[in-house]
Amino acid sequence: VNEFVFALAVNGLVWGLIIALIALGLSIIFGLLDIINVAHGDFFMLGTVGGLAVAVGTGSFWLALVIVPLIGLLLGAVIERLVIRPTLRQASLTIVTTFGLSMIIQELVRATYGAQPRRMSAPIEGTVPLFGIDYDVYRLCAAAFAALCLAGFFLFLNRTKLGTWIRAVRHDPETATALGVPVTKVSAFTFALGTAMALLGGVIAAPITTVEFRTGVDVLPFCFMAVIIGGLGNLQGTVAAAIMLAVLEGLVTSVTEPTFARIASLAFMSAVLLLRPHGLFAGATR
Amino acid sequence: MTAARIRALALAALIAALLAVPYALPAFGATFWVNIVAEVLIWSLLAASVNLLLGYVGLLSFGQALYFGFGMYGVALSINAWNVGFWPALAIGIVAASAMALITGVLAVRLTWHYFAIITVVFSLIFYFAAMSMKWLTGGDDGVSFAPPPVFKLGDTTLSLADATVQYYVILAVVAASFALTALLVNSPLGLSFKAIRENDRRAALIGINVYRTRLTAFVIAGALAGTSGALFAFFGRYASASYMFYHVSGEAVVWAIVGGAGSLLGPLIGTGALILFRELISNIWEHYLIAVGAITILVVMFAPRGLAGAWNDLLQAAGARRSDTPTSAKAMTVGEES
Repeated sequence: VNEFVFALAVNGLVWGLIIALIALGLSIIFGLLDIINVAHGDFFMLGTVGGLAVAVGTGSFWLALVIVPLIGLLLGAVIERLVIRPTLRQASLTIVTTFGLSMIIQELVRATYGAQPRRMSAPIEGTVPLFGIDYDVYRLCAAAFAALCLAGFFLFLNRTKLGTWIRAVRHDPETATALGVPVTKVSAFTFALGTAMALLGGVIAAPITTVEFRTGVDVLPFCFMAVIIGGLGNLQGTVAAAIMLAVLEGLVTSVTEPTFARIASLAFMSAVLLLRPHGLFAGATR
Repeated sequence: MTAARIRALALAALIAALLAVPYALPAFGATFWVNIVAEVLIWSLLAASVNLLLGYVGLLSFGQALYFGFGMYGVALSINAWNVGFWPALAIGIVAASAMALITGVLAVRLTWHYFAIITVVFSLIFYFAAMSMKWLTGGDDGVSFAPPPVFKLGDTTLSLADATVQYYVILAVVAASFALTALLVNSPLGLSFKAIRENDRRAALIGINVYRTRLTAFVIAGALAGTSGALFAFFGRYASASYMFYHVSGEAVVWAIVGGAGSLLGPLIGTGALILFRELISNIWEHYLIAVGAITILVVMFAPRGLAGAWNDLLQAAGARRSDTPTSAKAMTVGEES
């Protein structure tokens, strides 16, 4: 029984790191553009579908891991220009435009890729003994890779000029404009980057989840929970909350049904939203 | 003709057309469409509940499906458990939805904008997952079915939903009454305080409006509208299912309200009608019509943020301004409709 609990906790950790990457994309988009992107889960789904397609097409998963996020960057830039920017004046209605976007993406994938759920074989087969259980090597690699990407993101945000600009625009767009930061371009890039992160998370997760046009629907609420509990716009908080939630859900699942685990975390999230609307870790950084 | 005259005529034409549906459509061999119109009427109430919050109080709810679901289950479970009649079951559905809206609203209306949208969707998700797992009560995805009781029984005359025409008129009566009550509400002093809060909640508080209690009142009334919609839909389909509590149903209602025109009374009916008729016409030819629905949604927000009803009002105003001698009179007439 102990091994079982342990396996679920490790699964939670692996999943939490991947979700953290996706939720971080959602969080930077929210922090900078003040929009709630309901289509973010579908960007993740595009990552899984695209990852499978490129991996099967080229025969290399690693190529997919590079190509698909780049496509995501391009896609994000196009969507920002065509859909997001023209509706930014109606900030409250961006939930509605992104909901429309979500419908389009899901239906386009269903039309081209089909409605059949598929599974993708892991690029690294085999298991390793881990504290008494045989654990998938790929899952550990996925966790390590997601952690690497997270570290890379924070390095980019804190150590590069573009990253500094992003932080400046988040902090105060007007002053940033006055100091010569190209705010519109930075905003566009941020949306593209957030999209690319969701697609990247999708490619990483493709071998450990089902690949179909509805995959994003399950992932979206989880990302939102991480973003809210971590504090809207608090990036480190998002990462911490994603990992914490996934591990907790893994542990709760070991004693009861998965549905109850989900209900528990949703109830926890409403409590955070009502009692600490800036997140559990408010005051740390913002 | 002034804008007000045109509007009154259009409303009369709409009512006449809706009344004629069960006789006019079968005459053209389109019996199937009677049920489609009935469905439009039912769903338009869910869109109206979104509209009451978004268009009149300025709160975007993404969780109205929760109250729709409570309306459905209120009807289905009370009929199965206590064998109640049609009208008591309808009332139980509406009361159940309103009670749920009161409980969740006490917490939800403390928040606004993004936070409000998120908390409403979270609440609806909690109960969606709960309903999905409590199969012994809700039947989960498959739902629970029931035999609808007669609507009216006096001696030998029995009016039953099994008769499609009776069913249509019952639905039309309930929906029309709901819209009429909403019209009275938004033009009442309470309705004016809704709009004051929508425009500027701080100023509304300064002139003595209790913002929290007013928002809560609106939220409960919106819950009652969504519950009425769900209760009617349960009677229409003879069953209730947890799948209707998912956030996609809420999202669709938001789309209908916005395409129709948030902030205008009949906007939700227009939006729901346009999109459901679109679905029925297109889905036979093109399986992936949702792509077009998504595109329409985005285009409406981009180019006509006040929806079809807003565009219609602008058109009337422009026509009225051109024809009438005092251009301002046309504008004054439309106050009840917009803003």
